[in-house]
Amino acid sequence: ADSCLDCHLDSADHPVNAILHTPHASLAGGGSDACMACHGSSASHVAAPTNAAPDLSFGPRWPLASTDASGACLGCHAGGEQMHWAGSSHESADLACSDCHTLHRQSQFSVAQDPATTGCLNCHSSVRAELRLPSRHPIAEGKTECTDCHNPHGSSTPALLRQVTLNDNCLSCHSEKRGPFLWEHPPASEDCSLCHQPHGSVHDRLLTARGPALCQQCHAAAFHPSLPYGAEGLAGGSPNQNVLGKNCLNCHGQVHGSNHPSGARLTR
Amino acid sequence: PAQAADPGDPFAPLARETRPLSTRWQTDYRGAVELGAAYTSDDNFTFGQYNGLDEQGVNLIGNLQWRDYGNADSTWDIQLTDLGLPTREGRVTWGLGQRLKLELELDSQRQVRNDSGATPFRGTTALTLPGDWQSALQTSGFQNLQSSLRTLNRELERDRYRLALEGRLNEAWMLYGSWLYEEKQGTGDIGAGIYIDGASADATLLPYPVDYRNQEGELGLRFAGNALQLDAMLQYSGFDNQDSLLSWQNPYSSFSPAVRYPQGYGGLALAPDNEQWSGRLSGTWLLAPTLRLSFDGYHALATQDEALLDYSVNSALNVTQPLPTASLDGEVASSVVNGKLWWRPLSGLEVEGWFRARERDYDVDRNRYLYIRGDGGSQPRDALAVYNTAHDYLSQQIGGELRYRLSSRHRFGLEYEYEEIDRRNAAVETTEEDRLTASYRIRLAAGLQGRLELSWADRAASTYYWDQSYYALLDAGLINATPDNQRFNNHPELSQFYLANREQLGARLGLNYSPIASWSFDLDLRWRDDDYDKTELGLTGADWQTLQLSASYHPAAALTATLYGGFDRYRADQRSRAFRGGQEKNAFAVTPPLPQSSDPTRNWSLAAQDDSLNLGASLQWQPAERLDLQLAYSFVDTRARQRMSAAGAADLNPADLPDVDTQLQQLDATGQWHLRDDLTLALNYQYYRYDTNDWAWRNVEVDTLDKVLGSGQRNPNDSIHYLGASVIYRWQ
Repeated sequence: ADSCLDCHLDSADHPVNAILHTPHASLAGGGSDACMACHGSSASHVAAPTNAAPDLSFGPRWPLASTDASGACLGCHAGGEQMHWAGSSHESADLACSDCHTLHRQSQFSVAQDPATTGCLNCHSSVRAELRLPSRHPIAEGKTECTDCHNPHGSSTPALLRQVTLNDNCLSCHSEKRGPFLWEHPPASEDCSLCHQPHGSVHDRLLTARGPALCQQCHAAAFHPSLPYGAEGLAGGSPNQNVLGKNCLNCHGQVHGSNHPSGARLTR
Repeated sequence: PAQAADPGDPFAPLARETRPLSTRWQTDYRGAVELGAAYTSDDNFTFGQYNGLDEQGVNLIGNLQWRDYGNADSTWDIQLTDLGLPTREGRVTWGLGQRLKLELELDSQRQVRNDSGATPFRGTTALTLPGDWQSALQTSGFQNLQSSLRTLNRELERDRYRLALEGRLNEAWMLYGSWLYEEKQGTGDIGAGIYIDGASADATLLPYPVDYRNQEGELGLRFAGNALQLDAMLQYSGFDNQDSLLSWQNPYSSFSPAVRYPQGYGGLALAPDNEQWSGRLSGTWLLAPTLRLSFDGYHALATQDEALLDYSVNSALNVTQPLPTASLDGEVASSVVNGKLWWRPLSGLEVEGWFRARERDYDVDRNRYLYIRGDGGSQPRDALAVYNTAHDYLSQQIGGELRYRLSSRHRFGLEYEYEEIDRRNAAVETTEEDRLTASYRIRLAAGLQGRLELSWADRAASTYYWDQSYYALLDAGLINATPDNQRFNNHPELSQFYLANREQLGARLGLNYSPIASWSFDLDLRWRDDDYDKTELGLTGADWQTLQLSASYHPAAALTATLYGGFDRYRADQRSRAFRGGQEKNAFAVTPPLPQSSDPTRNWSLAAQDDSLNLGASLQWQPAERLDLQLAYSFVDTRARQRMSAAGAADLNPADLPDVDTQLQQLDATGQWHLRDDLTLALNYQYYRYDTNDWAWRNVEVDTLDKVLGSGQRNPNDSIHYLGASVIYRWQ
């Protein structure tokens, strides 16, 4: 055989031709030349297909050093999204592009899994658990993906965030909370994660703790903000407006800031 | 024994395969269409919270893929999914070789938060009560409340459209841009009160209108050379809220005739329009083969100049002083500078050094507002005014890391970082933190890897000015008339946890074991402990533990099975002191000092514990050449616990709150039978069970609380079956 596609047919045990329906199909003019653009001319493999590896093989039968495997991709994809790949946490963990990306495959309807999420959770198992908690982002439904907030190819921001700060990441979808407000709630404008857990929470609204306890971690003013609220305030006992419903937010609804001239207490 | 993916690198991740099976049905076709029908067994708001399946009934299954990459000069790709649901998505991409790419996207989302509430209010931005409404001092007195209620669905819909263009100018330069338009509409809920004194508010949970529009544009230029890569980008983001005021008719009969039902109204300011312009320049410069500099600079200016609302929507109230300004004219300038230098002086030794700075500068005129508290009364006397305050934030981090590969089996890392945060107009002006992390990775044997990480951090805060917010908020006339020992908003011994001294310890252990090529086991154990050791009142400590285990079995290309499970525990301890007196009941009242604020027997504490257990399994199996099966099951059980205790004051006897338990089970089974090379039958069954007993909503009717007209919403208790059948047709 003198052409890759003479052996690598649709019906082969390991079908690879899905790549011909992707942007990589036209590399180096397309056809077998596209194969060689990534795998090299692979003369020894052509001569002994079952015994000799292609010049560049991405596994699983003939694995390649991670730097070499990534190098094959970075030859074309060095800038843009991948600009900060070198030295990134994923590169330092010896991950290669092919550990997350599989080019020779098309997604199937119904059984398609989102690789941008599933692939991440294979390693980030604690996040996988958080994404299933009662309060969460729509990640399981594919409406939000890990890569909407994180750039797995590297970033200058901690946690590989796409935006330059955590709050910028949040505000890119929740721009109604950007303000600036006449009356700010300083922790909210400083760091959303002081009150919210972005990957998921046991508590409503991705909160780090239940109200009113969460508010009372920072507020102990005279009268109602300083009082302990226990089970005596539940329905059936002496129902307490600082415990039930939205607790503190029954009145202080504008916790992200108020733009009302009478809103100094974030009630308006 | 199993081999690492990279035989030359013992630390490369061990082989694992949990992605969809590679079958010939995924291969050589240009297009595919899926058509079918699905049935959801019941109305719900948890199973369908985000996927559009919140209503009982039949929906269309419709998906389309159609692409042509066969012609290098002109390629196109069309993807449409969920066409029969309100969560439909679509993307059309057209390319002119590597030179030009045009992309058009649409994405619809729906979020159903709760559909079991009720409200007596009518309208959207001006909420009114039915004409026969009978007001009262308390909710129990609303005689015709039940007959006035109508359904309150908290539901948001978001439609997003995006157009993106990429053009390659030459081998190294690329120009790109995009424009995004988004609409978000629906109904949320918000709490609001009408009052004169905060201790006697008449509150109501209100439906509030969401009618947002957002536009975002970006224009960028990229350079990708051998030694230098750059990305320069300009961005615009504009937020437009169609509504600026939410007013509601007061259902209560408290306070003066101008305030009470039917004349009295309350008013809330809705999210103001804002816009932001930003510029960002990031890049990497290869100074030498073993020396690299990467950098990221960003500056943004967010502005908001929406006209301020009146002090009150109640025109009958007496306003003696006008607003100090017609609009806020607020600006927030945000700047970020990140730089990192990477150097590999020796094979196996890597050194990194970095500097990061972030500034948020909130620039606004400081004005005096003679405000009307809670729409409850006329403007107070002149001294009872408040002042708005600008808050600035500057964080600077400098750090370095050493990574050393001792041999083919051992790798060490040591990282140190120092951070200083300076705040203007905050209770603490400066915090400084040292962070140290040590890591060790080892290949214990073929197919067995381990990773251990230990971290320590110590944050020191400068003097805590507990009266800062008091002085910033109130008028000098009132402050001068107030005794020194009452000049505070928060208790003087309270420390806000994010401004407080803290010692943090952390550890992480990871193991990856692959005894033979078809099996892989993973363990991830983490622990973190936060000790706010100088805090008397407030959050005094917190710790988090998580253990995650998984096993994966991949004996052949046609079978992958995975089992996983994990347990998380988060604990937090906080303390406070119950006291009367001071300013919170009436910020403008000068009252004799009460001894309670300095009485430690009035302390109380709360220990919170959140546990979550998650178990799951998945199977992907191709038992016959023309049959693909996929099965996934997950079980989640969470428990939120709060335990209260008091130091001994006779009037403080808080009882422990009951646990909040939530359980979720989901089974998702899919089978695909490939009748012909171009035709597949697909069947999908899902079972979903969700149950919670949150006491905040359990048995809480609309009128359970005397002074809060609630929504009466229920906790979810969903048990849903979903069945979908479809046909997939492919073509060349």
